[in-house]
Amino acid sequence: MDIETVKERAAPRAFSPKDDMPEEYRKAATRMIQFHANSEIMGAYLERPFIRQAPSLDRKLAFSAKVQDEIGHGQLLYRAAESLGIKTREEMLEELATGDGKFLNCFHYPMEEWVETPMIGFFVDGAAMRRQATLKRSSWEPYAHAMDKVCFEEGFHVKHGEDILRELATGSRAERERLQEAFETWWPRIIQFFGPTDDKSTHHDFASEVGLKQLSNDELRNAFLNAYIPKAEKYGLEIPEEPRIRKRDDGTYRVVEDDLDWDEFFTVAKNDYEGSHVQIGKRHDTQEAVEWVRTVLDEHEQTSMGTAPAAAD
Amino acid sequence: MSVIDHLSGPEDLAPDEREAVETLLYRLADDEFVLAERYTEWQVRSPTLESDLALSNIAQDELGHARLWYDLLEDFGHEEADLLWERDPETFTHSTLVELPFESGDWADPIVRSYLYDEAEHLRLQALEDSSYPRLEDRVGKVQGEERYHREHATNWLERLASTEEGHERVQTTLDRLFPHALTLFQPVDPEIEARIDEYGIRTQSLDALGQQWLETVVPFLESLGLAVPIAEDGAVTADDLPETIGRDANHTEDWFDLYEEFTYTYHDLGRDSAERIMSDPDDQ
Repeated sequence: MDIETVKERAAPRAFSPKDDMPEEYRKAATRMIQFHANSEIMGAYLERPFIRQAPSLDRKLAFSAKVQDEIGHGQLLYRAAESLGIKTREEMLEELATGDGKFLNCFHYPMEEWVETPMIGFFVDGAAMRRQATLKRSSWEPYAHAMDKVCFEEGFHVKHGEDILRELATGSRAERERLQEAFETWWPRIIQFFGPTDDKSTHHDFASEVGLKQLSNDELRNAFLNAYIPKAEKYGLEIPEEPRIRKRDDGTYRVVEDDLDWDEFFTVAKNDYEGSHVQIGKRHDTQEAVEWVRTVLDEHEQTSMGTAPAAAD
Repeated sequence: MSVIDHLSGPEDLAPDEREAVETLLYRLADDEFVLAERYTEWQVRSPTLESDLALSNIAQDELGHARLWYDLLEDFGHEEADLLWERDPETFTHSTLVELPFESGDWADPIVRSYLYDEAEHLRLQALEDSSYPRLEDRVGKVQGEERYHREHATNWLERLASTEEGHERVQTTLDRLFPHALTLFQPVDPEIEARIDEYGIRTQSLDALGQQWLETVVPFLESLGLAVPIAEDGAVTADDLPETIGRDANHTEDWFDLYEEFTYTYHDLGRDSAERIMSDPDDQ
């Protein structure tokens, strides 16, 4: 299929591994899905310490389950990316550990306190939900299909995140103050989650023309602001003065983009921010520490090829 | 044979019966909770995405079981805050096997640990299937169902690891280190109370009998993988085989106190005085 035909036929779930897709499409789709898969894994690094630090048994269970879900989403998405025939899962995981793999801006920053957990668990996951819901209509069928399961589970995560937010927002004065502080730290990053404004976005046009993406960064960000500013206010959070948020005549919101630090954003995007090195370093070190197990598994598979029963992982 | 057919519900137990039931529940709950706490260290750090998902499942099962057993302690008026978050760490009675930290990347450890623990857990639960304490008996079935998968998981991994030179060596080293701690699973919290647990039929097998059955299971299996089990030829276990700290008697390694600090950090940092429940009570599920 040539690019022109792809553009003509682009529609929700229009293409699958049965179709002979041009390399340009396959590369663009791989870049997008690999980024998504990487983000699931790197987000889990931020949240894993809070399995241990959760302040009740139920919260601990919920955090453990959530982190597990993120790994499960990563697994699904790498499979969807592999189906494009550009890179294997091993290659993508290798790129993630060496710092060549890209992932969401928010996961380049450290998360150190329990009061920060709803910033990811409610706001970032809520933002991700909005984007992912539109990707159920992506033209690459395996990606859209993976989104069905991911969105279903993310729904629970956002509810859990909101519940932690509610608990803190109705807690002691100190809890409320620390929550507000965390919100101020995270708010600009959360807005930048959707990436740069459309005219600065490098990959948008093509991805949109071939139906990989449904909505633009701006549309998604505006939809997010319209839904989440009222939610933040409902929990008593004050929206920081910067970046300035303008209310339109119809009651919807838009952000003054020049108030955001785009230099920092693009440094993050290049994996070159201070936090990027820390987070990627964690991935690199933990994967290197268990490299021996993968070698043992390969060796075991080679010596028992065809004779071993399927193993429980 | 026990002399008591059925104990009453929690509110009608005689004080010595209640003490026996509580002692048994703390053993169970603390083991499951602390083991799960350790397992979660492997989340996002396991060798493959698949093994990560599997070990996370096991950790959550154990956390769920801990929740079931702590919930039975709540029958006696305890609250989660007293059972975990504000409890003196020197009163926990889990075995030292479950509290030891993992070395970074030492995947042989959770596998060997899980194998040794889950075989013991299986036997221990069997000895509770006909418990004279009805609240306990009711919940054993659900737990036993999940433990079967844990044993399959551990056995499968052990076979794979032990089939290669490097894996075999690592498993052996881990086994030498963990085996003495696994023996503490069968140690008494207090010999007099343990005798009462048996006498009242709360547990239908004594710790010694369970320990013996466990050895009869794990020693032949480990030897079949070409591993040497650090135990006397006649299988007799003496005090010399036990590690310095056994856990059951509420003596613990320094690592336990560090772990306790970490997992209670947020609770204290936020100045909480209770633990929030977000899931329904096990009795309503």
